[in-house]
Amino acid sequence: MILLLFIIPILTALSIWVTQNRKIINILNITGAFLLLAVSLYLTGEVMKNGVLTTGYLYNIFYFDSFSAVILFVTSVIGFLVALYSTGYINEEFRRNIVNINKTRVYFSLLHAFILTMLLTITTQNMGLMWISIEATTLASAFLVGFYNHKKSIEAAWKYIIICSVGIAFALLGIILLYYSSVQSMGKTVEGINWQFLYENAASLKGSILKISFMFILVGFGTKVGLAPMHTWLPDAHSQAPSPISALLSGVLLNTAMYGIARVMAIVNKSLNSNLFTGRLLLILGIISIGTAAVFILVQHDFKRTLAYSSIEHMGIIALGFGLLTPLSIFGALYHIINHAFTKSMLFIASGNVYLKYETKRINKVHGLIWSMPVTGIVFLMGIFAITGMPPFSVFSSELSIITASFGEGHYVIAALLLLFLVLIFAGFITRLLGMFYGKPQEKEVRQGELNYTGPAVLITLLAIITVTGLYLPVPLRTLLSAAGEIISGGVK
Amino acid sequence: MDRLMDVLNLLSILILISAFILVANKRMNSYIKTFRLQSIFLAVIAAIFSLYHIFEEGRLEGVIVIFFLIVSLKVVYIPNKLKTITKKVDYKVEKDFFVNIPISVIICCGLVIMTWYVISRVTDINDAYNSRFLIYSISVILIGLFFMISRKKAIGQIIGFLVIENGMFMAAMLTTSGMPMIVELGIFFDLLTAVLIMGVFVFRINESFESIDINKLRNLKG
Repeated sequence: MILLLFIIPILTALSIWVTQNRKIINILNITGAFLLLAVSLYLTGEVMKNGVLTTGYLYNIFYFDSFSAVILFVTSVIGFLVALYSTGYINEEFRRNIVNINKTRVYFSLLHAFILTMLLTITTQNMGLMWISIEATTLASAFLVGFYNHKKSIEAAWKYIIICSVGIAFALLGIILLYYSSVQSMGKTVEGINWQFLYENAASLKGSILKISFMFILVGFGTKVGLAPMHTWLPDAHSQAPSPISALLSGVLLNTAMYGIARVMAIVNKSLNSNLFTGRLLLILGIISIGTAAVFILVQHDFKRTLAYSSIEHMGIIALGFGLLTPLSIFGALYHIINHAFTKSMLFIASGNVYLKYETKRINKVHGLIWSMPVTGIVFLMGIFAITGMPPFSVFSSELSIITASFGEGHYVIAALLLLFLVLIFAGFITRLLGMFYGKPQEKEVRQGELNYTGPAVLITLLAIITVTGLYLPVPLRTLLSAAGEIISGGVK
Repeated sequence: MDRLMDVLNLLSILILISAFILVANKRMNSYIKTFRLQSIFLAVIAAIFSLYHIFEEGRLEGVIVIFFLIVSLKVVYIPNKLKTITKKVDYKVEKDFFVNIPISVIICCGLVIMTWYVISRVTDINDAYNSRFLIYSISVILIGLFFMISRKKAIGQIIGFLVIENGMFMAAMLTTSGMPMIVELGIFFDLLTAVLIMGVFVFRINESFESIDINKLRNLKG
């Protein structure tokens, strides 16, 4: 059953190359994404009933527990919504002759290949294969980031591929050291690189080698997550990519890299039997990321770049949650992964609509959004409040959990800095972006009315999701998050 | 067994020296030749491992697959591909490096010393040979990283990335005598794809910016 998760995207990606008919490509795209969603929801249900799923192939290479289920749920839902929105987006660009049929095929097949690599990351427990998949996500999305092939896109794609590949190469060094400690302590076994094996035998792994390995992995995967000071590729890549791809990059890809860090953190914490080492590193990187994001958001001129810096901020908050490692903060961090994914995708999709209508990414060239596109405008406005942590949206609940946990642990300085940066980010968003919504469009002819049907439908769905989960967290989801939290904390504290 | 370790020690030092030679090079063709030399040393390490397994233990380990992969990809295919890219791309960048050569070499010495110090503080590496292998591997990785950040041409960045990967393979083979086969194969093909994609982007950079000087990619700031 887990194999279906991989077969469906491969088939979709390959079958898109068979046809030249745009309608068929759209149908294939949406069917593939929908089937993937169905399989993922089924697997998530299975995990909630049975605990852990493994298949016996290749020495238990596929492994699926509650933590994987959380990330899988987010990935497949947002993947489906993005695939749905992409049809409208690419159709519009095709109509304007920005892309031709070949580029359309490249786009959709790479979209599914990209989703495939992300799914591979979260369903494997072989740390080497996890590394390979994370590198593969960089490679699969490199051409998507550089899709439009003008100067800024090429620069963004080059920075993306170089910085992420180098960072991930350091993570490979960390994984080699992790395997080295396993070989040294327990001899060369075929299971030696599997997460479950390492986790169960964590007490016998040598501490200092694990510490060095964790540092390399934190820097390496942290580059992919977007933690400062390794974040420099993120604003460029997320702002130059086509908007559906930005939604995927921001909402889903950053989570899978964070998944890698959390898995290794669980092993290291269990081995050292305290989280002082990993916690301190994660706290420092987290708070620096939030601070960097706050400073840069205050001076932005490009709304997609602002959203990208906001991703850096939220990944910093998640790192903070994992660093504190109390049950409340881990729950908050996992919940935040879900909330940020939905909210940020909604914002990027809305910004895609704005870009299609106004053909610019600069804030001062966009006016009268609520007049010209009521649904997009209102969703974007609500989204700005949501992403900066306003109730009743879901981001408020998760941020509140993390702040409470931070105060509860006695980390007053960290909590105070966090609050200060959140206020700065809120101020930055409002002062910079609020001018886009009211009034009337000042430039040329901007016609009134939404561009297509899929855009507003996806937007309203996402807005509903983040409002509802902000007010009431469904019980199955809550148990899933608690179970995942127990896996991560590993019984420490 | 001791003679095996001595030979491996010699080869790993040769790889480290070739990394120093790489930093001291100025022209793109010499970058590629030095990289090829380094990959040949790495292939010899893989060959020695497989021969050791054949003679001592009488079986064919997976390391022989890695030997063939290293020879075919890193010694033959990738350097040739890089040569064709450099022929097609206009490389009129005057001064390729940010830091001049003597100071670069001194910085690389400093990197080796720093690595030695860091590894000596990791108390759990008991085996003397393993700790030295780890030091040489991490030094090669750091020198590759330094090479990447100190060159202005895009090809220099690709070569630096490849040297980092050479260091990784060195670390994996020498300290753990090879990771599981599926992981090694996957890593190889990942790197191959990464280099091919970077090659495509070098072409695009050349078309758009009329040069492969990385310093010209300055449009996105802030």
